[in-house]
Amino acid sequence: MSMPKYVLKRILLMILTFGVVATMCFVLIKLLPLPAIKSMGKDANLIIKKREAMGYNKPLMVQYFRYWKHVFQGDLGLGEQMYEAQSVLSIVAQKLPYTIVVNLYSILIAIPIGLAFGIYAALRKNKWQDYVISTAVMVVYSVPSYVYAFLVQFFLCYKTGWFSLTVASKAEADFISWTMFKSMLPAIISLGFGTIAGLTRFTRAELAEVLTGDYLLLARTKGLTKSQAITRHALRNAMVPILPMILSEFIGILGGSLIIENIFAIPGIGKLYITAINVRDYNFFMALTFFYTLIDLVAGLVIDLSYGFIDPRIKMGAK
Amino acid sequence: MNLKKILALVMSLAMVVSMVACGDNTTEPTKSNSTLAPASSEAPSTNGGSTETNGGSTTPSNPNSVTTALAQVGSGEVGYAIYAGTAGKDYTDPKVYTFNDYIESTTSMNWSPMNWETNSDSYVLDNISSGFYTFQLNAAKNGWAIACEMAAELPVDVTSEYVGKYGIAEGDTAKAWKIKLNENACFEDGTKINADTYIYSYQQLLDPLMINRRADSLYAGDFCIYGAKNYFYGGKSAMTLMTEDGENYVYQLSDLTVNADGVYVTPDGAEVYLVLADALAWCGGDSLADYSDYFPEEIWTALENAADSNGYVLCTKDNFANLFAFTSSDDWGNESEDQMINYMGYKVEYDSYSWDEVGIFKTGDYEIVLVTQNSISDANYYVPYNLSSTYLVEESLWESCKTYFNANGDVVDANSADIASITTVYGTSKDTTASYGPYKLTYFEMDKQITMERNENWYGYSDDKHLGQYQTDIISCQVIAEHSTALLAFLKGELDNIGLQSDDMEKYSSSAYIRYTPQSYTTKLTFNTDVESLKSRGTQVLANQNFREAFSLAIDRNTFAKSYTSAGSAGYGMLNYLYVYDPYTGATYRDTDAAKKALVDLYGLTYGDDGDYDDLDDAYDAITGYDLVKAKELMAKAYDECIADGSYDGTSTVEISLSVYQSDDIYVKMFNFLNDALKAACEGTGFEGKVSLTMEVDADYYNTMYSGGTDMIFSTWGGATYSPYTLLYECYCDASDGSGNQMEYGFDTSAIDLTITVDGEDFTASLQKWALWADDSDPDCTISNGKTTLKQFSAYDADTRASFFGILERTYLSYYTTTPMYYRNSASLVSQKGDYAVTQYIDLIGFGGLAYYTYTYDDTEWETVRGNLQY
Repeated sequence: MSMPKYVLKRILLMILTFGVVATMCFVLIKLLPLPAIKSMGKDANLIIKKREAMGYNKPLMVQYFRYWKHVFQGDLGLGEQMYEAQSVLSIVAQKLPYTIVVNLYSILIAIPIGLAFGIYAALRKNKWQDYVISTAVMVVYSVPSYVYAFLVQFFLCYKTGWFSLTVASKAEADFISWTMFKSMLPAIISLGFGTIAGLTRFTRAELAEVLTGDYLLLARTKGLTKSQAITRHALRNAMVPILPMILSEFIGILGGSLIIENIFAIPGIGKLYITAINVRDYNFFMALTFFYTLIDLVAGLVIDLSYGFIDPRIKMGAK
Repeated sequence: MNLKKILALVMSLAMVVSMVACGDNTTEPTKSNSTLAPASSEAPSTNGGSTETNGGSTTPSNPNSVTTALAQVGSGEVGYAIYAGTAGKDYTDPKVYTFNDYIESTTSMNWSPMNWETNSDSYVLDNISSGFYTFQLNAAKNGWAIACEMAAELPVDVTSEYVGKYGIAEGDTAKAWKIKLNENACFEDGTKINADTYIYSYQQLLDPLMINRRADSLYAGDFCIYGAKNYFYGGKSAMTLMTEDGENYVYQLSDLTVNADGVYVTPDGAEVYLVLADALAWCGGDSLADYSDYFPEEIWTALENAADSNGYVLCTKDNFANLFAFTSSDDWGNESEDQMINYMGYKVEYDSYSWDEVGIFKTGDYEIVLVTQNSISDANYYVPYNLSSTYLVEESLWESCKTYFNANGDVVDANSADIASITTVYGTSKDTTASYGPYKLTYFEMDKQITMERNENWYGYSDDKHLGQYQTDIISCQVIAEHSTALLAFLKGELDNIGLQSDDMEKYSSSAYIRYTPQSYTTKLTFNTDVESLKSRGTQVLANQNFREAFSLAIDRNTFAKSYTSAGSAGYGMLNYLYVYDPYTGATYRDTDAAKKALVDLYGLTYGDDGDYDDLDDAYDAITGYDLVKAKELMAKAYDECIADGSYDGTSTVEISLSVYQSDDIYVKMFNFLNDALKAACEGTGFEGKVSLTMEVDADYYNTMYSGGTDMIFSTWGGATYSPYTLLYECYCDASDGSGNQMEYGFDTSAIDLTITVDGEDFTASLQKWALWADDSDPDCTISNGKTTLKQFSAYDADTRASFFGILERTYLSYYTTTPMYYRNSASLVSQKGDYAVTQYIDLIGFGGLAYYTYTYDDTEWETVRGNLQY
């Protein structure tokens, strides 16, 4: 099977999977009862009538097809239990950039540092530098990111006053600006610790193994310098499992971090999904299900395809 | 070897980091007397009805004596003299002052006057809108006064002008209210607000297609506008609960019949439903669905299966029997069949209704009339109270924010004939907001930042009536969900107030900048005094009153409240500082002389010429409820009595069981504290080394006490803050056998005779009957001495009622079957940048509100001092 055919097949399967997941989620969330109408002294009929107007009393199949009809028209509905009467798409669109930007910065900073530490540790394998890095990685890896967040906030923001306690609002700074970046740095650092540790550990392990390969000895005997051999052969081979890991890290953090966003007052989407489930806001739940499902499916495809780019010997779709 | 050195270095570094992290950047908090201390001389005096204690006598000849005064016929007098503020510290101050605030994250953010939902929403709305009338700090700074805002004058009763219309009959009063409007009012863009604006807004609020969340403000509750509900529901049906408040019922069960289909119907033939998902007054605002876990599975499943999508179950004989099988069981409270009415509702069909028939209309360009369904009692207070909000929207903006849908949920044109519902995004962003209050929204970022700045078009900045107010130029409100972040921001001077959590109290409870907001709850120790049930555990000593009093006096409540509660303050009485005894002034019962005297007498303090304190206020301020010397004396006395009556043999070990919900750290600490207090009281007496507490974990400890199955528990009651006198009967005196709310098992208040001298005549009744009389819910409950019958409790004026209740409170507490421990509060810190007008919380107006917030530093000065301050 040629690459384009393989990609097309994967995309079609992706759409099918997306449809199945979306349908299952739609049915399952609708099977959950809506929250009881709890508001003493308030007319419960106001809520009931609103729900009727939103079509919640219609048969499930009617609701299902009506929902998809609107989705194809680009309408993901209005909030009912949260952000009442406001466009779900608009709310998500307002909150998503913060999550993406913070996490993107975090990844972009974490990747070179993680790779550098990993490579250095691998090259100094079983030397004191390796022990220091490996010990630090284990410590950092074992501690949840919010612990760093509190420490970073306390020392870098409160004690020293180098950074603001919370991320700047768009009134204080342009979204892509040094001021905004600086205000995001504590969050970026907090998020980055785990990624750096993970990447360092993985890179060290992969590279250390590759460095013991016979072909590297051959490369050196062919006259390549050590650094040439490592750059041209060892690193490239080690990157085959590392790059998908980087991609999946990036995909993973797009979901946002509820705790980090709370600590640094980032108006991202971190807690939107869990809140939508808790309060049973159907439209928010479905929109975010779409978002996360789509990200997961696209990520899977991109990761699979990336193998072929990194190592031409790996042919996607080939038997 | 090298590795070991490195690891040692790393660990040392970690230790240094930890030590720094644990360090503090502030010094010890300043000691202060600023706690929820009782008010002193600012409290209203008990003129009129009073006990015979005014004048500072040490021990009155008869502490159970009341001189009465009757309440005024009609409405009482409301104060209109508001606090003048601090000269110059107002909107005329040329410096710039920013109030930096925060809200926790919210899932709403909708400050439309017609659809706001959460406290965060009302936070914005309160600053960008004005009511017809407003409750503000009074001139004496101890209560509230009413001021006109969007109304130019106080409402005028014009009921007689509309006889024959709007359901008004000849002789009716207090139904139609003419309101003259403030002609200077306008929206932030300068658009004038006149009678048409009100009529348009009210009509939009009740638009049946919009289903605005606040629509019921006009047709539910005490201030129902005539015809509003019919207009809103015109041509539709709606569920009506048999009771909205648990006191007034549309129908009783005996009024219902069963039709041929086996369905319960009202006398009008409307089918009756069992209500599973709606909030029920009978369940304290919860729905039956909230208690589904308590139901036997088969019963709940059957009910759920029979319910429609709104949780309504047609009340057939079978469904009725199904629910009753549960409500009549021990698991629910052995309710009677008649009480099933509390879970019922019926559907009402509403005919189409014209807007012209609704009791809202204009009588001039700046004059409207509102007609209520029922007469408004205590109108001087309740009419302004119910008109403290307006629901104004700017017409063109409102219309532009609408989206129209057909029955299939498709968006349709505004002129479509298929419109089935309308939604609006009014009040969800800067562009969809039109202010008509002292501030206008100038920046909004979803879940991040709200900024409001002075609305220069607000009439209040040019009418000279608001001098002394609104020094704040900018309100900058961040959304911060994480408490620790907010606290650090406060300490850095980036926020001007911070709500405290229990973990913060150890550090800040003594701060001069702490402010307490009382909740309505008092937590107390409740004792079982039923000898028979105590015998089974060998703890009959608890039936001895001296023993209980000794135990009570051995408890240092101040230490207890500070050490083990979140912002709680030592509690000495049944009611705390939130209960308003005079709705016309906002004065609280606890601040009355009668209430103070009740506790001063209870705890044995004296005042006046021969007393230990100069006056009642000094004596009251000195109450601690802690006197270990007296406790030991009483304990020794109790020992002798117990030996004498055989309730103690002198040698046995007595372990008094304290049932608690769980055995977590805080409960263990509280238990140890009380155990130590009891042992301290027993020291040097015959009980020494023989009496102690034992902690029993029991998640159902309330019910255990109701059945006399334990010796003591922590219990908590709270009630409506405007009905301070109902709590005594409903929660403390209603049944000694555990069948009611009363938790003091075995304390039979119907067997305790209490004589009160009223205007020189003695009246004797049981304590329970006095409490029922003060509860004022049973018109058949009268108290007579054979010659004279006391009037209904509510017929007496506020001071007289407080005097009566003071006697009842003292009498009840003097039996020591319950020992108040602490009043529940929430706490916050205010920054040193400025402060509110008062430090003691006043219901309705808090600490005086932002209007009277004054600054010590302007924004520029604050930048130089903030971050170096100690709290």
